[in-house]
Amino acid sequence: MDTLIQQVINGLSLGSVYALIAVGYSLVYSILLFSNFAHGGFLVIGGYICYYTLAAMGHNIWLSGLLAMVGAGVVAILVEKLAYKPIRERTNVTLYLLIASMGMSIVIENIFVVTVGGRFRALPPVIPTDPVNFFGLATTSAFDILSLGMAVLFLTGLQLFLSKTKWGLAIRAASYDLRTSGLMGVNVNRLISIVFFVAGLLAAVGGIFLSVRYTLYPQLGFITIKAFVAAVIGGLGSLPGAVLGSLILGLAEMLTAGFISSQMRDLVVFGMLVLTLLWRPSGLLGKQVSEKV
Amino acid sequence: MSGYVEGIIILLFINGIAAMGVSLLTGFTGVFTLGHAGYMAIGAYTAAIMTVRYGIHWLPAILAGGIIAMVIAYCIGVPTLRLMGDYYAIASIGLGESIRLILENWQSFTRGARGYPGIDNYTNLPVAATFFVIMAVLMFFLIRSNFGRAFKACRDDYVAASLLGFNTARYRVLSLSISAFYCGVAGALMAGFLTFIQPVMFDLNKSTELTAVVVFGGLGSLSGSLIGTAVITLVTELFRPISQYRMLIYGAVMVIIMVVRPEGIMGQHELGPRFIRSLFNRKDRSPRTAEGGGGR
Amino acid sequence: MSETVLKLDHVNKYFGGVHAVQDMSFSLEKGELAGLIGPNGAGKTTIFNLITGVYDVDSGTILFEGEDITPYKTYEVIRKGIARTFQNLRLFPRSTVLENVMTACQQHYQYGFFEAASHLGRWKSLERSIRDQSMALLERVGLDALAEQAAGTLPYGHQRRLEIARALSLQPRLLLLDEPAAGMNPDEVQELNGLITAIHRDFDLTILVIEHHMELVMEICPHIICMNFGAKIAEGDPDHIQNHPEILKAYLGEEVLEA
Repeated sequence: MDTLIQQVINGLSLGSVYALIAVGYSLVYSILLFSNFAHGGFLVIGGYICYYTLAAMGHNIWLSGLLAMVGAGVVAILVEKLAYKPIRERTNVTLYLLIASMGMSIVIENIFVVTVGGRFRALPPVIPTDPVNFFGLATTSAFDILSLGMAVLFLTGLQLFLSKTKWGLAIRAASYDLRTSGLMGVNVNRLISIVFFVAGLLAAVGGIFLSVRYTLYPQLGFITIKAFVAAVIGGLGSLPGAVLGSLILGLAEMLTAGFISSQMRDLVVFGMLVLTLLWRPSGLLGKQVSEKV
Repeated sequence: MSGYVEGIIILLFINGIAAMGVSLLTGFTGVFTLGHAGYMAIGAYTAAIMTVRYGIHWLPAILAGGIIAMVIAYCIGVPTLRLMGDYYAIASIGLGESIRLILENWQSFTRGARGYPGIDNYTNLPVAATFFVIMAVLMFFLIRSNFGRAFKACRDDYVAASLLGFNTARYRVLSLSISAFYCGVAGALMAGFLTFIQPVMFDLNKSTELTAVVVFGGLGSLSGSLIGTAVITLVTELFRPISQYRMLIYGAVMVIIMVVRPEGIMGQHELGPRFIRSLFNRKDRSPRTAEGGGGR
Repeated sequence: MSETVLKLDHVNKYFGGVHAVQDMSFSLEKGELAGLIGPNGAGKTTIFNLITGVYDVDSGTILFEGEDITPYKTYEVIRKGIARTFQNLRLFPRSTVLENVMTACQQHYQYGFFEAASHLGRWKSLERSIRDQSMALLERVGLDALAEQAAGTLPYGHQRRLEIARALSLQPRLLLLDEPAAGMNPDEVQELNGLITAIHRDFDLTILVIEHHMELVMEICPHIICMNFGAKIAEGDPDHIQNHPEILKAYLGEEVLEA
């Protein structure tokens, strides 16, 4: 019983970090309708900015975290301006954006391989990881509780941004039809920049928590594949779906690790993806896309 | 000929066969895949296990590698290729990685992550060249037939294709199965060339490389894919001393090609008299704005 | 004794809360040239999408030559003998004009996979038939001289005619034309009128045309169905339609706005 509760908390915590990544990825998808594989790069950038600013400016996680978020957000905007904008302005073939984003993810990963090397780095102990007794039911780590709490905080923030601000409303409108919102006088390029900034920012938060969990290395971005899978399970382009898919995935992974075998967890993840898509091809909460003829 | 040069040529042939497979699926049918290293792995392990454990001759083992990859692709394709676009791209990562994870964990049969040693060195230059030539001819013929036009119709506009009477799902599955056969054979040849295989050789990086080569060469050009393979294989060898920059350049070139020339080295042209003429007379190139909405 | 080619029987379609097609019923007799008219957003293209199985019907049935085609998938409907063109062109822009027609034409000249991969067997003769048949159709619509050009580079009016040629090469018995005159100047519309009446005569076809231009429909279609807000509001010959009060109401508002 102890293990069960513990694994459930672990699973929710891991799932909530996936959610931070998946939501940003899904947000970009809902606007531009392509799968941004460079999203994992934003997470790695956030992680490294945090690592180096912690070392340089004293162990102030709040400041470093803020810098990481802004830095990853800015890089996300740059990636969009450099690589995606010229493509989307010329054609509507989203396959080209997909391939460019794959290239971008390789570039970001290997910039770090070339400059700082491929070794694993542990963040200084700025986030508490002490064991915490959870209402006398189970023992878990403070880190798990903290990452769950932060994820809830940021996801609520995103929800408020999307529902209460002018740009948030514009983003939600654009997710129905980008071209029409352009016609309605929305500055589409600025809107896309904001979307990428938000996506990069959320990825950085996820990146910091993942660096604490797994240590930091250039290929850490690979973990985003799980967030992508979560977003697909939940339904591409649907933000509640991304959160739901992430939590399911986090739980499935931790329960598999706890009760079956740690080696099976990735297999379970991909198995769930295939099963979900067989059962509901557009994901749990995805809208059925029908093309205008 | 020195052994080193011979090795590179064999590698070119093997990579060329795999690239033709991915070219058919991504370049001609418009299905973006990031999991085809998985089919190479199936081919490689099938051939390795058949020759080493069961002592079967390498020729049927290679063909079996292709056929088993094809059958598995068919079983995977029927349900998943109903998915469009990015859903399949993500699913293909999952499928490719699952195949690798199964190979790593099925210790008793595949010897797990440490790899499968002691495979006969059956892939020599004549074997690789023969397989390459036969498979290239078949593929060139196939794309210049009713099937080729059907694949391209599914790629360019699947709604229009179904409104011209094509069962688009069936053609997508067929294209996937053929491409898996090519990758399976390539994997089986790879096993006989390296004499040692390991699941990690067929990871997401390898899948990405397979797709990248096709993109470099030009989506919808078979000869372009082969030129792309040659360039990438040779560049990989040249950059071996500074291999840490290799992937960086790789990714950058991928982005630059998409930004500057998304149609790749060859566009949709095949290397031949007509392409050479078009180099001198570029008026008949279609305007970029008119490109189809095939991305969705 | 005429036979019914197409029959819609109380067809309904909803998009979310919108009742896009309401209780639609009409039928076309063999050899008819009929028009489907109505203001923008009346649901005309939706009717085509329902007939061709692009959308599923929510209730009601669609019969083609007496057979219920509602459960069929799009490609099955097409293979039964229905072809259509699109309001916003859907050619394969990077393929040549000839390839566009050949892609459709090959439905009637299928050969096997191994013949395709080896270029043996029937490959040569059937490819020749496909090519000849396609060239003949291009000649018919006056595009044979442009056969080797990329379809996307053609002027708009030519692309519309190419779509008609491509649809014809499926050898349909029912042809659905979705706003074939959209974006054409009056001269081109006149030319198109001639083409539609000519293919109707020569190919032994039943044709249903969606049109926005009242003039075109009034001129060539003896049978007109008029719809607005997803429902049929009138049906009859041009005289009947021209003097129908409902249509004046539906159309005049719009025509006044357009003027």
